[in-house]
Amino acid sequence: MKKIIICLAGSLLLASNAFAFEPSDKKIDVIVRAGYSIGGTAPLGIPATIRSIDAFRPTASLMVGADVKLALKDNWGLMTGLHFENKGMDAKVTTKGYRMEVVKGDSRIEGLFTGHVKQEVTEWMLTLPVLATYQLGEKVTIKAGPYVSVLLYKDFSGIASDGYLRQSNPTGPRINMGDKEGEWATYDFSDDMRSVQMGIAVGADWNVTRHFGLAADLSWGLTGIFGSDFKTVEQTLYPIYGTISAYWKF
Amino acid sequence: MRNYLTFALLFSLALSSCIKDELLNTECDIVSAWVEGEQYASNFYHPSQMHLDNISSAEKEIVFSVRSLISLPKKLPVNFTITEGATIQPASGSEQDFTQGPVTYVVTSEDGEWKREYKVTFKEATMPTYKFSFETYETLEWESNFYHNFYEISQSGQRLNMWASGNPGAVLIKLGTKPEDQPTYSTPDGYAGRGVCLNTQGTGEIGQTFGKPIAAGNLFMGRFIFDNVLSQPLKATEFGYAMDREPVRVTGYYKYKPGPVFTDKNMNTFPNRTDEASIYAVFYRNVDSEGNKVFLYGDDVLTSPYIVKKAEVAALPPTDEWTRFEMFFEGQNADDELVKNLGYNLALVFSSSKEGASFEGAIGSTLYIDEVEVSFELPDND
Repeated sequence: MKKIIICLAGSLLLASNAFAFEPSDKKIDVIVRAGYSIGGTAPLGIPATIRSIDAFRPTASLMVGADVKLALKDNWGLMTGLHFENKGMDAKVTTKGYRMEVVKGDSRIEGLFTGHVKQEVTEWMLTLPVLATYQLGEKVTIKAGPYVSVLLYKDFSGIASDGYLRQSNPTGPRINMGDKEGEWATYDFSDDMRSVQMGIAVGADWNVTRHFGLAADLSWGLTGIFGSDFKTVEQTLYPIYGTISAYWKF
Repeated sequence: MRNYLTFALLFSLALSSCIKDELLNTECDIVSAWVEGEQYASNFYHPSQMHLDNISSAEKEIVFSVRSLISLPKKLPVNFTITEGATIQPASGSEQDFTQGPVTYVVTSEDGEWKREYKVTFKEATMPTYKFSFETYETLEWESNFYHNFYEISQSGQRLNMWASGNPGAVLIKLGTKPEDQPTYSTPDGYAGRGVCLNTQGTGEIGQTFGKPIAAGNLFMGRFIFDNVLSQPLKATEFGYAMDREPVRVTGYYKYKPGPVFTDKNMNTFPNRTDEASIYAVFYRNVDSEGNKVFLYGDDVLTSPYIVKKAEVAALPPTDEWTRFEMFFEGQNADDELVKNLGYNLALVFSSSKEGASFEGAIGSTLYIDEVEVSFELPDND
């Protein structure tokens, strides 16, 4: 949380710095954009209990949105808007003693899993960025600032197969998991996901023509995708996504 | 474009943070135990008894069954296969004296952080009384969930762990915390003294996830292999206990009430089907042609080619009153010499839902059993 506050304070400082100048003649730009995101929801640093990443597939993640850009003095400006976007991924990893929990209704089995885990994450959200912009010459605008996302749909589920769970600790009873449905364990922590995420976004808009442009953005979640009281998944998972988009500036 | 490259670089940094070095193993199990050497073979009924494979992860006691403790050598080496990297004290293959009771072995994990204690015992194969009154049971606990475990006292006064049930699995998915919440428990309302209550239960959402929505109450001679409970439940029930006599008949008392709604493994309901209880027994050859041990499991307990004879109660009509049942073994005769040398296993099985192994039955079906007796000669006139 502290990180978020520092970041928000920093960007507000930047923005207020921009506001300190008188607005220039060129008023407000309206920009609509559509893009494709790629990235993952991952711990910062992979724990030793994950032995290999066997497959990683960012799912088709799309973004459409509209921004308004307010040009201020001396190349500074402010951009905000609303983006409808999806962040997803599929990953397959091999674990050794990875702490996890199978929870279904009132029943739960918790322990250390050695085997294969297939993880799916899907999040559909509305994102509101508040970015300070800086004009680099005629064509390029760089931008940075915080964002807030409200999740409209969330899914964090997966399968633990081809291995075994030691219940509670390495000396607990061993529960084998097979390689097909009915023999493997499924889990679903969708309901434990946060409904609001925050983070920082940085990026650049490049005006190819007067109206048409391309943009690259990176959004880095500062809040884990789960609430802090959720302990089942050992590591805090952060959504980190890059977006390539095209835009039209009116 | 340069911007994009920068981002791509950032990305790969974030996502492909290096795989760390493998941690040392934390597990510390005995996987198998065996006695090696021709000179020890005569202490066992069959060479296959010198090997105990497939030791369940829930096991704390490893028991070798021998002809006599008096003739057992004072120094005997037992070998172990343990988790990779783990160490065992006393050492595998070291000579120990098992004639004075169990020897405790401690297995320490490769990382040194975890330990498991096993008691290794050599026991004379003593036989039960063959009159099962189900008065002896204990209450076991796993993570604050309690369940009953039945055992017998042998003719020579030793404890025999010959009964098993699916209770450890029920406790795993937390059907309830009290012994009476589990599918198999001791009830004070027996035919005489205490009896056994078996009841079919829903397994909650975890059970449904695994396509195993119900758990029939069961009690059987044999071993419950916990490890297989979710992935291969038919392999969790290992049926059979070595017997030195050839059974002819089983009698006992029961009460039965089928549950109201019959369902299949997908929880489809069948209004025209009524659940049935089942009581059966099989007597089978416990060594194959290559000298390996044979056990029957949920998937072949009635069909295995090693079955010599079996008995089944034809029908168990619902009743609120204790009602006598009787079943006779049918099939081939066993080889007398092999019988004396414990070459056959008996499996006596009780279940509150006949098709419970395929997860068909009615939640709430309740079977009570008590005063079960195995006889070895035909009754004179009854």
